[in-house]
Amino acid sequence: MGGYWGTQARDEHTSMHSTQHRSAITMLAPATGLIGVFILLPMLLTIWLSFQSWSTQTGFETATFVGIQNFIDIFASNSVGRDFKAALVNTAIYTVLSVAIILPLSVLLGLLVHQKLAPGGVFLRTVLFSTYMVPMIAVALVFSKLYSPTEGPLNQILGWIGIPPQTWLSSPQTALVSIVLLNVWQQVGYFTVLAVAGLTQIPDSLYEAARIDGANPVQRFFAITLPLLGNTLLFSAVICIINAVQVFEPVALITQGGPVNATNVLTFHIRRVGIERAQGGLGSAMAVTLMLALIVAIAALFAFARSREGKTQ
Amino acid sequence: MLFRASLGAVGTVAVLLSSTALVQAADVSFLTHWAPDTVAKLEAAAATYTAAHPDTKITVRAVPFGDLLTTLRTSGGGAGGATIAGIYDAWLPDLSKDKLVAPVPDAIAADTKANWPAGVIGAASIGGVLYGIPNEIDVYALNYNKKLFAEAGIAEAPKTWDEFLAAAEKLTDKSKGQQGFGLINSWAAGVLHPFSSLLVSNGGDLVVDGKPTLDSEAAKQTFELYEKLIKSGYSDPAMATADANTTGPFLDSFVSGKTGMIIMANWWESALKAGMGDAFADVATAPIPVGPSGDTARSISYSWMTVVNAKAPADEQAAAWDFLNWLNGPESGPNGASAMGDILMSMGILPSRTSDGVAFADRLSSDPFLKGYTETLANAKPFPVVLGGQEFSESLQKTLEAIQFGQLSAADAQATAQADATEILARNAAK
Repeated sequence: MGGYWGTQARDEHTSMHSTQHRSAITMLAPATGLIGVFILLPMLLTIWLSFQSWSTQTGFETATFVGIQNFIDIFASNSVGRDFKAALVNTAIYTVLSVAIILPLSVLLGLLVHQKLAPGGVFLRTVLFSTYMVPMIAVALVFSKLYSPTEGPLNQILGWIGIPPQTWLSSPQTALVSIVLLNVWQQVGYFTVLAVAGLTQIPDSLYEAARIDGANPVQRFFAITLPLLGNTLLFSAVICIINAVQVFEPVALITQGGPVNATNVLTFHIRRVGIERAQGGLGSAMAVTLMLALIVAIAALFAFARSREGKTQ
Repeated sequence: MLFRASLGAVGTVAVLLSSTALVQAADVSFLTHWAPDTVAKLEAAAATYTAAHPDTKITVRAVPFGDLLTTLRTSGGGAGGATIAGIYDAWLPDLSKDKLVAPVPDAIAADTKANWPAGVIGAASIGGVLYGIPNEIDVYALNYNKKLFAEAGIAEAPKTWDEFLAAAEKLTDKSKGQQGFGLINSWAAGVLHPFSSLLVSNGGDLVVDGKPTLDSEAAKQTFELYEKLIKSGYSDPAMATADANTTGPFLDSFVSGKTGMIIMANWWESALKAGMGDAFADVATAPIPVGPSGDTARSISYSWMTVVNAKAPADEQAAAWDFLNWLNGPESGPNGASAMGDILMSMGILPSRTSDGVAFADRLSSDPFLKGYTETLANAKPFPVVLGGQEFSESLQKTLEAIQFGQLSAADAQATAQADATEILARNAAK
């Protein structure tokens, strides 16, 4: 009897488990299906295409397998390789500069708008965030005129204080930095709001205790504010890197990658190769390389954050 | 009986409705890079056509020049893309190789071949098959500011490179932020075409029989001319930048009287008029100065054409060809000109149809700006139309910009340009 009831209980348990399993699959299917179709499938397709020779304008059936030739080509010494490597370096410089300027500036501005000593914090926050809401097409149009070497207001203002005209977008030495400054102007408000959100999470009691212990504002910033903003800054850094790597509009609208390819970042270059020249295989190999570089950069950032956490614990 | 009659009536209505639906299915879209005022003229011409052809609906879509090829590549070539597109002849080999453009139907092709110059027909054909109806022809000439010439004591436009350099020197005045000759950067055609015009006016060529010839003596002298313009300070690369709309500091510098000379195509007459207003009267045009290895003033030319999407439904393609045949035909415009010719002339662009040249002869000969171009046209060499033309152009653009910014010497630029062009053209031809 015991065996019978035991077997029946097991069967019921298995049946219930199976039902639950089916329910879970049924409930998860729409979400995972959508992710699979709209995220994983295009990614897998791009990876597959990176090993093919394929004209973007023809069907996938015309793709021919070329092994790792596309990856060899994009790192070769001919014009294909030189242009790709230059675009990779430009993207890296743009990303590093953007993160290095935006994050400290967002914390600084966050402290400014978060303080309660002077009125106007909310107004300042709104003004800062408003730059993030302006469409890039408008920003690009305005900045292309602001940066104009002969007619631009920026050089005219510099002239009033005795600074000679700058080349801004018109020289390979300054063009990429000028695009970075445009990015900083547009994005810093968003990251300031993130910094303010982080600052509001720090208990006032910690500052009071530090004040009682005689800590000055600088000491309080480095001992309390910065360590407790760690998670916010990590999140900000990840978003900032992803945004920077995906830069496209200002380059497409203002510089077209020039002069001398100084602003030819990877997303713009991939469009040029993969779409304008219809070299879909090469473009896909570039996209896969960019994706790998981004994964490595983000993983390194998390590893760095974890090692810092380990040291402080 | 009544039931039968009703059934018959319903059937007749259904047949009529279905045939009407079939006729009304010709929904033709036209992709162009023209400015809004020119688009309005095209829409007006389309409205005239549809008044007589109510079964066809024509819509015009405009994108900036910098986005035209991308738009064609992304959406223009699909079944849902534009039915008609205006394209630059250098793009045709790649577009026809990918079977994105449909051959011109035989009857219209025969008519087109009979009414356009053979050179223009050649630029719109691949392997003897005509793929588009040509419309505009563009040629390059020297544009100069007569007021600045007078201030610098220069009596007439330079005819040789020596005279050109002497004029550039006199026109350069750094205290006024004024340059003698304006180069262009960040725009492939804007960089390449003036260089190519100087090269052919020096007896050279970019490509001969599909092979680059940038290693010639004529090319060497042209690279050296660029180096001299930069090193002498006659050209300031900081005033040379262009944006996606082919405007920007290089245009601003010329329209504001900070640039003495520039080599540009006839189509930018409308941009100059818009930017300069009354000061446009100060602009004059002249043939490209002749280099030490050249025999006569030459220039390069290129053409544009309208093509039809090969993936569009057959009835849409047929309606598109019928509209294009009318638009480019002698019945659609004033005084025996085509409507297309009339639209082009409004922008200062030379129509390529032979009868348009006759219809607009008075305007062409009396327009002092276009005179410099029409004088050059007979000796112009077509810009090479090859597979991989866009990649070739962008590669040479980068090399020429590197000279502009002192990153390459003339000798290194020549060697790089020839090596890159050889590899690019060979790779694309082999695909």
